[in-house]
This record gives sequence, C-alpha cells and structure tokens, in this order.
Amino acid sequence: MKHCYQLLLLFAVLSGYAQNSKEYDLYVTDTVVNYTGKKVKAIAINGSIPAPTLHFTEGDTAVIRVHNKMHHETSIHWHGLLLPNEQDGVPYLTTAPIKGMSTHTYKFPIKQSGTYWYHSHTMLQEQIGMYGAFIIHKKQEPELPEYTMLLSDWTDANPHEIERSLHKANDWYAIKKGATQNYAEAIGKGHFLTKFTNEWKRMHAMDVSDVYYEHFFVNGKQEDHAPQFKPGEKVRVRIINGSASTYFWLNYAGGKITVVASDGMDVQPVAVDRFIVGVSETYDVIVTIPDKDTAFELVATAEDRTGQASLWLGNGVKQLQQPLPKLKYFEGMKMMNDMMTVGGNMKDMGMNMSLQQMDMNTVMYPEITGKEKDKKTASMAMEGHHHQETGNTDIVTLNYAMLKSPVKTNLPDGPVRTLHFELTGNMNRYVWTLNNKTISESDKVLIKKGENIRIVVTNNSMMRHPMHLHGHFFRILNGQGDYAPLKNVLDIMPMETDTIEFHASEEYGNWYFHCHILYHMMAGMGRIFTYENSPPNPQIPDPEMALKMVYNDDRRYYFSAEVGLESNGSDGEMRLENTRNFFDVEWRLGFNKNTGYETEAHFGRYLDKNQYLSVYTGFDFRYHNSLEREENLFGQASTQNQRAVACIGLIYQLPWLINADVRLDHEGKARLQFVRKDIPVTERVRLWGSWNTDFEYSVGSRYILTKYWSLSAHYDSDMGMGGGIVLTY
Amino acid sequence: MKTLRNIAMAVAMAFVFTSCEAQIKNPKTETVKVYGNCEMCKKTIEKAANEKGIVKADWNVDTDMLTLTYDQTKTNTDAILKKVAYAGYDSETFRAPDDAYKNLPECCQYDRPAKVSAIAENHDSHKGHDMPAAETNQNSPLFNPVYTAYFSIKDALIKSDGKTASAKASELLKVIATAPMDKMKTEQHTLWMKIQNSLKTDAGHIAETTDVKHQRDHFASLSENLYALAKTTTNDAPYYYQKCPMYDNGKGAHWLSKENTIKNPYYGSAMLSCGSTVETLK
Repeated sequence: MKHCYQLLLLFAVLSGYAQNSKEYDLYVTDTVVNYTGKKVKAIAINGSIPAPTLHFTEGDTAVIRVHNKMHHETSIHWHGLLLPNEQDGVPYLTTAPIKGMSTHTYKFPIKQSGTYWYHSHTMLQEQIGMYGAFIIHKKQEPELPEYTMLLSDWTDANPHEIERSLHKANDWYAIKKGATQNYAEAIGKGHFLTKFTNEWKRMHAMDVSDVYYEHFFVNGKQEDHAPQFKPGEKVRVRIINGSASTYFWLNYAGGKITVVASDGMDVQPVAVDRFIVGVSETYDVIVTIPDKDTAFELVATAEDRTGQASLWLGNGVKQLQQPLPKLKYFEGMKMMNDMMTVGGNMKDMGMNMSLQQMDMNTVMYPEITGKEKDKKTASMAMEGHHHQETGNTDIVTLNYAMLKSPVKTNLPDGPVRTLHFELTGNMNRYVWTLNNKTISESDKVLIKKGENIRIVVTNNSMMRHPMHLHGHFFRILNGQGDYAPLKNVLDIMPMETDTIEFHASEEYGNWYFHCHILYHMMAGMGRIFTYENSPPNPQIPDPEMALKMVYNDDRRYYFSAEVGLESNGSDGEMRLENTRNFFDVEWRLGFNKNTGYETEAHFGRYLDKNQYLSVYTGFDFRYHNSLEREENLFGQASTQNQRAVACIGLIYQLPWLINADVRLDHEGKARLQFVRKDIPVTERVRLWGSWNTDFEYSVGSRYILTKYWSLSAHYDSDMGMGGGIVLTY
Repeated sequence: MKTLRNIAMAVAMAFVFTSCEAQIKNPKTETVKVYGNCEMCKKTIEKAANEKGIVKADWNVDTDMLTLTYDQTKTNTDAILKKVAYAGYDSETFRAPDDAYKNLPECCQYDRPAKVSAIAENHDSHKGHDMPAAETNQNSPLFNPVYTAYFSIKDALIKSDGKTASAKASELLKVIATAPMDKMKTEQHTLWMKIQNSLKTDAGHIAETTDVKHQRDHFASLSENLYALAKTTTNDAPYYYQKCPMYDNGKGAHWLSKENTIKNPYYGSAMLSCGSTVETLK
C-alpha cells in the first residue's frame, strides 16, 4: 500500500514537471578515429567524441533516448545526478544494459544545478569516447559568459590490452614515458641507494599514473579556441575531467583562477594559481581575459606531465603558460622509501595527512622545489645560456581544506553510523581493493533511509584515488564546520585519511561507491551501498544473475606469456591469473637429447594482503640424459634426469623482489629456488637470474625492442649458453 | 617476382632517403617576425626551432625576421613558433610565458611588444596583469618590507639555500632599521619596541652565516616574533601560521606563510610538506 502511495506521488511529481520536459536522442555508434596517423576503433555518440553537451534547467524533466546502434551492449551513467536508482545507468546493478541495436529511454526529474557529465559504465567503453558534458543551469543564473572544457585522455592502444598489460606489470608504458627509473639513471643522478632501497622494500618503479597516453584533449581536440570572449570579461569555465585515468593540473596564463564550484556544487570563491582535477571531478572557475588582442592559455597538464591540452580564451596573440617541467622521479622514490615499511605498509610518520594539504609529490615538482641537479643541467649552467632556474614556492595550489560551501550543509538529524574503508592495492599485480577485498569478494553495505553514514577513508596504497559515490552528495569534513563543501568525488592521496558523510536520502536501490580510475574500478576497487528493503527493480528481472554479471568484472582472468626462442632451446612461461589465483605452465625445451626437456605446471593462490605469499600445487615432468649430479643440497638423490612428480609449494617474495619458492614432491624430494626477474639496468636492458638447491642456475639479459619483442641471451646450467628473441605478451 | 621487385624498390628508396638526409622533404618556406636582440638570441631561437631533417631556421639579428624551411607534412609554423615562445621569444602568433622571458640572459631581454590591459581602462589603480591583484591589498603596508624580506628568507630556507637566506637577512636588517615607527598604532609600537632587538639579533645571525642549520635556529625565534607582530595587523590576504612538529628533537617550530599549503623551511626538500597550519591570520 505504501509503495502504491509513493508511486502515486511520483506520478504527481512527474506530471507536474511534464510541461518542462526536455528531450534528447543519443545515437551510439562504433566508429574509427585517426588522431595520430593510425586508425583506431572508438565509440561516438551522435557522431562525435566527446558526446554532445546536454543542457538542462533545474526543474526540467530529462527524457533521453539512447539508441544503441552497435552490436554489443552499452550503458550510460549520469555522473553526479540525484535520480531514482533505476535511472542511474550502472548496467545489471541499477539499470538494464542497453543491448545491441536497441533503444533505452531514461526519464528523470532534474532536481539540482551545476556542472556534471555522463559516460558509459560498461567495461572500458569510457576510454574510447563515451563521455559528454551534462550542464544544468539554475533557474535564475547570474549572466556570465561561459564555456565548457571537457578533458580526456587518448591512447591508440586497445583498452583491454592496456588492462592486461597493467595486470602483468609490463613496463612498456614506463619506457614510452621515460619513467622506468632504472639503475643506470639512478647512478647518474646519485640515487643508486634510493633505487636499491626502493626495490629492497619490494617496490617496482612507481609513477603518478599507470597508462601512457598519446594525446590529451579539451573537447576532443589538443587545442580548443574560444575567441568570442572580450577583453576585461570574466568567463565561467566549466571544467570536467572525463578521462579514464588521468589527473590534470590546471594553469592559466592570464593570472589567478577563481574556483567557484566543484562537482556541481557552489563553493565560496577562492583564488588560486593552480589546482588539480581528479579523474571524474568537475570544477567551475572564473577567469578574466586581462588584455586586448591577446588569447590566454588555460592549460591542462597530465599529472605525469607527458602531455597537455589547451583552451585559448580570447582573440589575438596567444599568451602561453609556462609548461610544467618533468617530474623528479627519484625524489618521489626517496619519499616513498621513507613512507613504506619493509612489511609493505604506508606510514605517515605522525603527520595526520588529509585533504590534499600536504602533497608529498611536491618533492617531485621542479617548479616548486627547484630543478633536478643532474649532469645535463650542470653543463647547461656552465654554458651560461640559462640562468639557474630555481623553484617558486609562492604558487598557491588549491586543496580540499580551502573549499567552503556558501550555505550550511549540515545533515538532517538521524542515526549516525561510521564505516572505515582502507584503500589497498598491489601495484605489481594491479590488484585494487577496499579493506583488501574487491567488490565481488565483499558483501553489499546495507543502509537505511534516513541514516547518516560517515565514512573514514584511509589510503594505504601508493597511488591517489578519486572515490566517487553514485546518487548522493557527501560532505567533506574539512574544518569548515557547518559549511563543509558538498562533493561526489573525493580525491585521496597516499597516506591521507579523510572523513566524509552523507545522508541516506534515497528510497531504495543499489548505489556504487568506487574509485573512478577506470582500470582500478574494473579491478574491483569499490563497494555497493544497498538500501534495506528495496523493492524489486523492474529493470533487473533476474537479480542473482545480474549481480553475478557485476561481480564478473573483477573476477576476470588475464593471460600473459613469455616465450623465448634461443640457440640453446626454448624457455617459456604462460600464466593465467586473477585477483587471487594463478595457473602457470613453464617449460625448457632443448634441441637435442642431451639437453632434454622440462615442464612444470602449477595452480596457486595468493594468501596475504600484500600478495608476497602464495601456495601452489602442480606437477613437474622432465627428461635429460647428460646430467651427473647425484644429490641435491639436502642430500637427497637427484631425480633431475628423469622426473614425473606431483608437488606442492610455497612462494614468498623476499626484499629486493626475489621470489623464494620452496616445494616438496610426492616422492618426498624438496627443492628451494630463488628467482629475480627484470632488474631494470637501463631503460631497455633487464637482467635476471635464478638458482635452486638441485644446483641448477641460470642468468640472462633481455633488451626490449618493442612492447612484445626483446633480444635475449642467457646461460643455463643444463642447457648452456644461448641467444635469441623473446616474445612477451 | 613481384615481391622481389618490391624489395628492390624499397632498397633503392632507402638509398635515396639516406643520401639526402640533410635535405628537408615537402619543403615550405615562410618568414615570420620573432622579437629578439642579439647574436645570443639568434642562437637560442634557432636552437628552439631547428629539428633535424624537419625544420631549418635562420633568424636575422637586424630585421628580427625568422626564415623557416620545414617539412609541411610533419609540422607547421605555429608549432615551431610555439617552441620558440617556450624558449622566451615573442612572435606575432605567440607571446612567451613571462617566466621563460625572465629566464633569458640580460642581454637577450628584448623590448617586448606592449600588452594593452583591458582592466586598466576600468580600474585606474591596476597596471597590466603582471601585478597580481592580491598584492595591492596585502598585509598592512606598514610592515610589508619586513614580511617581504622574511618570506624571502623562508623561501631560501625551504630550498636549503644558505647564501640567499643570508643575503635576504641583510635586507631584513635594513628594513627593520628603517621601519616607520611614527605610523604605528600604539599597540604595534609597544610590541615593536619589545621585539625590535631580538628581530635584529636573529636577522643578524642569519645574515652572518651561510650555515643553514644555524640559520634555521634563528629563523625559529624570528618567526615567533613576526607572528606576534602579524597578529596586531589586519589584512585581506591571510597569513598562515604553520608548525613543524619535528624540529629540534620534537619541540617543534613555527613559521608564517602566505599560502595554506605546507612548505616546511626547517628541513629542506626532504620534509617539504611536513607540518600543518595552526592558525590563519586575517
């Protein structure tokens, strides 16, 4: 009966809005783009990337028909919007997926105003073009000329291939970015010990972002022009970060930037020199066109500083903004070393970090802490062509503590419940979790309407994460008391602890809370908030099956292989792994009877939260006829010449990234083996070595030619010296 | 057979390409104005524009004209002029970032084409955008020179630059001596008389050494006194009173800053962002 009443009410509300109904038709099509001279598959909406900007006025009813003209399914999520759960657009969780060659109609009242956006919530479609701006105007808005600046990142690589490479920790992207942070470079910069300590603490080279992008875009272009603005005019720029995994620094060549809103909600104006826009965040800013006959550059620089995209405001000579210099990776590494325990935990040294106030990455910013002192700059200074550029410590950078709502934002009275989320992850295997559990490994978080949910978020991972809550705004408790700002994305830096709170104001449904870095979300970094006693969702006819579909995203297995073809035989390994499990097959095939063959296969599982420890079971077949060792290190008779055993074992990653592998076979024979892979000697040279208690050993090196191919040479105690090529997939 | 011919073609082509490597293909030549002064400018401009096999640039010192020959399938005039602007040189298309211009050697600091400020027409008090709007309403102008010098010392200490800290401390000594006591309010005057000597002592110590450790000890007490002084003034742009909890074996030390972001002057870049704002002075 109660539901009936609610329905009636809903109808009444809807019909009340009906006269302001605003309709859009979105046609989603497969397309081919060419940004870099290479044709690549992408997805366009109404023929464009980004998707068209949708404009509404508060009080409208949005009617949006999405026509899926592709042969595979899609979805659209309205980012930051307050709407009934079934309109939220998360396929299988809140809304029916839009099947190929079908149309889905969204209809919801617009109850808010500000800068928002929309994007696909299906797999990795957001990376290849499915994002657009969603602008809601206030009923009475102060007249200010405005412009929308939608930022995005572009790569020619297939996003599924990117995802696979990330899970394999392939460092090809680091090579492309010049960010391998290898030993030769470390020595050149006097940072050998820094690098060694870093690896000792079991860390691979870290970067501020994971993926190499060919281009960064403003509204789909590397440079966008808005010449219509007059000198002296104040312009509202609505900045939306619609990228898949890139944070952007914003700088303006015309002086200060006044921030007036974030994530759609107004804040008291605050003037800054620059600010960072997290993935999926939006900021409204006001900038002034200060001079005549000049266009001023509003420039968005990728956080890893591999590229930028510009918006020119005004008309005339283009006033450039000084580009941000390259990051000082080894300073960052040194800082990480200090913060990381050997046990793999982050410690903040009692600094109580929060709200982006202490950006530890500042040690890497040459514009603030001065240029890196390496041989190159030293020689440049000697030539006398450049003054020694020193850092500028007067740059005002926005942080969350500076955001203040213009109105009180206190939550309505209600019972308060506090949840603790620790952001956790394993960079080496690209596992991203909350409290060490992925979405599929954890239960839904049940909430009740009217409750106030307070979430204490601690980032114990090595990367920053933009945590996004669907369908609700939360307050960031940032010391502004009653005037805490409202947002729907919280960027949280490593080692920070932030507290947010929201009122459970919806009636029903499942609401996602997840990291908005696309590849982190797909790895399972999130939770689902579910209202207790939600009615069945007509769009999800089979909830159990649907939930399985949601969970499947982070249960997927990734395949990788390394196949060597060398003059002394073929070595190789193939792996299939997901968050916790792995299957692998290794082989060594000689070209003649003497060198024989060996093959081992394992099924294993990672046990601890840092994934240093795993157990496995498997078998080992081998045949040689030339080896003459009689005993292993433990005094057991050697079976190296002929072996067909089942075994169980345990692998533990030691400091300096050495894997210790101890196993026992069904004949009672024990073996302990140490392996270190991929020591980054120079940008493209990797060394590796292994030794075991059967007195087998091998050392080798690899020169990386392309993402997939390397030249290799190695010496193996059984097979001797060899050289050839290696395929790394 | 066809493949063979293709291979032969490819080899022949490769030959042709390598033999004329120095030449620019699909050439287009354009002459554009680039502002500059001297021979040294010429070197910098051409270095910024040149790209092997793609761009050949020649800048004329007398006419300020840059002649570009480039491969039009690979680049364009705008892209080249952008690089020149990043090196510090204005053209008709791009105006160099102010920082890049300032970093040019003195002899190269050519007269820039003037900008016409749009704001100056509306507000007479502003002259161009080079002056940040915030600066005009700064902290009580009376003590401006003192705080300007103080912030310079702080910035030098952030970079562990003892030499600059020492030089800036000498400046601070000078402005302390010439502080206009007649314009101070009563309470400011009383306070000034109280702290004047210790200000001088601390500034003097910082000035007479380049040992950053010693300078930081005095900077700690200098900061305490200037904090007390800052409390007696009102300002539109806030000063932030910030604390490093670790300094002096955990006793802690404070400093003043114009921004809320922490840049710790007590440990240099190692602990740059360690600390917190304890008070905002407005």
